[in-house]
Amino acid sequence: MTATSSKPFYRIPRRVPGSQFPVSEIYKPSPTPQPANILPPSRHPYADIVHRLEAGGGLLPDSPENLMRVIGMYKAYAVPMDFYWRDLLYLGERVFIDPLPFFKYFPTQEYFDLPNHYAGDNADYRIWRGWEKAHPELMEFIEKGETGKLPRLFHHLWHDRINMEFSEDLARSMMWHRMSGPLEAFLDSEEYITNANRAIEAYLLSNPLYAPLIVLHKAFPQMFLEQARMATYMSILGLFWEIMAPVFFEISDLYDEGKIQTIPDAINFLVNGIFIAAGRPIYHHVYIKGKCYEIIPKSKGFMWLYEAALPYVEAVFYRTSPFRGTKSYNAEAGEVPEKQEDFHYGILYADKFPVGTAGIPPTLLHQDMSHFLPQYLREHLLRNCRGEGDLLVQVGISFQRSMYTVTSAVIQALRAALLYPLDDPNPKHLVANRAFFEGQLNRFLRPQYGINEASRILNVQTTTYK
Amino acid sequence: MLSVLIWLPVVGAALLGFWPGTLPAPRARWGALAIAATTFLWTILLLSQFDLTQPGLQMQEYLPWIPTLGLNYTLGVDGLSLPLVFLCNLVTLIVIFAGVSGVAGLDNDAVTKRARLFFILTLLANAGITGALLSQNLLLFLIFYELELIPFYLLIVIWGGNRREYAGMKFLIYTAVSGIIILAAFLAIALLGDFRSFDFSDISTGGFSQRTQLILLTMLLVGFGIKIPLVPLHSWLPDAYVEASTPVAILLGGALAKLGTYGLVRFCLGFFPETWKLIAPGLSILAAVCVIYGAMAAIAQKDIKRMVAYSSIGHMGYVLLGTVALTPLALVGAVAQMVSHGLILALLFYLVGVIEAKVGTRELDVLNGLLNPLRGLPATSALLILGGMASAGIPGLVGFIAEFLVFQGSFAIFPIPTLLSVIASGLTAVYFVILINRTCFGKLDNYTAYYPRVTRIEQVPALVLVAIIFFLGVQPSWLVRWSEPTSTALVAAVPSGAPTLSQLPPAKAPSLL
Repeated sequence: MTATSSKPFYRIPRRVPGSQFPVSEIYKPSPTPQPANILPPSRHPYADIVHRLEAGGGLLPDSPENLMRVIGMYKAYAVPMDFYWRDLLYLGERVFIDPLPFFKYFPTQEYFDLPNHYAGDNADYRIWRGWEKAHPELMEFIEKGETGKLPRLFHHLWHDRINMEFSEDLARSMMWHRMSGPLEAFLDSEEYITNANRAIEAYLLSNPLYAPLIVLHKAFPQMFLEQARMATYMSILGLFWEIMAPVFFEISDLYDEGKIQTIPDAINFLVNGIFIAAGRPIYHHVYIKGKCYEIIPKSKGFMWLYEAALPYVEAVFYRTSPFRGTKSYNAEAGEVPEKQEDFHYGILYADKFPVGTAGIPPTLLHQDMSHFLPQYLREHLLRNCRGEGDLLVQVGISFQRSMYTVTSAVIQALRAALLYPLDDPNPKHLVANRAFFEGQLNRFLRPQYGINEASRILNVQTTTYK
Repeated sequence: MLSVLIWLPVVGAALLGFWPGTLPAPRARWGALAIAATTFLWTILLLSQFDLTQPGLQMQEYLPWIPTLGLNYTLGVDGLSLPLVFLCNLVTLIVIFAGVSGVAGLDNDAVTKRARLFFILTLLANAGITGALLSQNLLLFLIFYELELIPFYLLIVIWGGNRREYAGMKFLIYTAVSGIIILAAFLAIALLGDFRSFDFSDISTGGFSQRTQLILLTMLLVGFGIKIPLVPLHSWLPDAYVEASTPVAILLGGALAKLGTYGLVRFCLGFFPETWKLIAPGLSILAAVCVIYGAMAAIAQKDIKRMVAYSSIGHMGYVLLGTVALTPLALVGAVAQMVSHGLILALLFYLVGVIEAKVGTRELDVLNGLLNPLRGLPATSALLILGGMASAGIPGLVGFIAEFLVFQGSFAIFPIPTLLSVIASGLTAVYFVILINRTCFGKLDNYTAYYPRVTRIEQVPALVLVAIIFFLGVQPSWLVRWSEPTSTALVAAVPSGAPTLSQLPPAKAPSLL
């Protein structure tokens, strides 16, 4: 992969990692492999980071403060994420193509009780030792919010709620970037269209109010179909986060228990989590009047890693879409790239200082996370900078650090799946590993549209960036 | 009644100065604040006692002092001095409040160590300005006028910026020369006429030949022109304003500069109405030059404090324009402009001071994105935008009222200079947009933007000023009601047969009450 490559990084001949790691209920940190130290120093501009990756580390320097921020943000992210995945599944499965989805952010109790497949006693893979229903902190927030105990509609109207728009925005971003691995082709196949149309007709006819719209559907067959695809993406993102939420809950618990002590520990845990979940099915089921319509059946064999995780990283960490508050969409100005591959507005490139300003979408997420900060992180942030005054910005920057760590885990997982162990004695193998790492870092160095200047990788190397 | 305004700060300053033993800095601060607040409340009381229907002097006080010199302790207040006394005491209160909360460009250590001296000098300065505004005796006026020099020189030199000594000395020399010229003019007036005393009421220059009047008027014009300042005499101002710390700059621009414009109306126009009328056309051109020069020079600046300083020069041009037009409306506008400029300049200097204290720079090329709600200085920036708009004459704020009154009153008399001033008022908008764009808009630098927050108490002075600016902008009768009878009387004193008055039936005083 060269510095100017515009291909997404995961389109590499695949070797499905499957479940090559034993599934254990409780993570045991593996010792960080020491590099064989055979290769000469890297001459890459980010050579320090390359060496760190070769030693099993991440894009972020290992320090207790970094670790605290990273883990604390995982916890703060996991709780709203627990709502996101439940509501996204609700959107994909129940709201589906509702033309007037007034109450789309009000998932039914059934969805709060929906057992997470990776938590609790009856889990498929028990990642989090906690329980399988919605997280207690989330339920408390749904009930009381910031204001107090009120009907949920009032909480919603007073904007005392989880900013679900943010997760919808990410699903839309994945869709617009057509990020979903091989599933992307399936969305245009006859099979998908047939399945979707069956569900669309059933859905419209199930409601006497919507039944006349069937004419519209016949006249413009693409219209509701595209909405169905959107619902599919909602499901995909929901299924992705169904796994990430327990992973983040568990890593936070392990940190609290003192079992995760360094950033490489955290990366190891995440890599294990990625491999455990890699083969989990991705599907889209729609429930209409108690009947299940399988638009994408599980039997199609779409998998979590290729249909959800890697596309998500590409679409959300790297690309998304330009913030309305920082870039001009003026076609003559040429600020926004022509090609989607050049989009660089993800969390790894985001300017976190304007969080809280108009036109900065992540503000929604940071506001959500600020409700669920663990005590230690909250106290730490309140001591820094302006404390409560710029908490959202500090949350945003800590979140950026934590997402650099997740990206590190993805890079290490890909390396483990596609290339060689870090302690491989064969120098040729190590050269291949190094080329891979350098290729990943080159994404932060591309000069087009100021991508290299937008990248925050140098900022997160410092302790003063907070 | 009036003496209290002068002597309360002096007694306060003496108390602070001669307090036995060491006076802890916090206590000195609160003491100074209490004195300033009492003085301000007394001003409010004065406003409530003021009879709006009477154009002449009110609440006069007379005490023979040195009869052989003709120096009497004669005080009085009229519609011209009253608004300025209010402005001066308001500004002093704000300055001392800023000093108490330890904000706005004042090095905290310096204030803590020398708080007493700072407050003593501020109170003395306040007493001097009020005294000069209230004096009804030429020599007494001059004493107060010269008294200003020392505290302001010290205020600049002790608490100023890097080039404070140069700036302080420049200010001292210019102002001293101004004082000497005015003294010479006053003495000449007294020598040429044979008056019982230097009391204003005893002096009439009607008997002087026109050439004498012209010479005396020119001397006064130069003397006060330095203080205002008018364009060729202004070069002390940018240095003094920029090098002075924020509270001192506020006091300088908000209060002291008003002594110059006050002298312009009181002495130049009041004592030499005929000759004033004679040279008015020339002065109207000078006024237009002032306004345009100030705006152009401000556009070229890279330092926001310097921009505001030059804007001050420009805005003084409107006062001159209003004064030379010799219509009641324009004169009311001129007085309104003095007050509005004092308020706006105080606000702008305060905000610039806050920005400098928090961000650590005043450079247009470095400042950016301060409107950012979490990491920037959003309230300060919002107020700065409001202050800039007020200064540029946006309706709804006090600057528009004053400028519009001046333009309306002077257009019929001096159409070309008025039009030029209107254009320059557009240029004012230009440099304030530049300032606001570079300072408030844009985005913060990720490597440097860790500014301390502006505490609530630090915002209080700016909020109070904005409230007044906004209130007077939508309810302008509270701005002009004080000076209407006096200005009408002043204009009426210009010898009749003057074409200006008879030609202008529509341009009568606004019936805003």
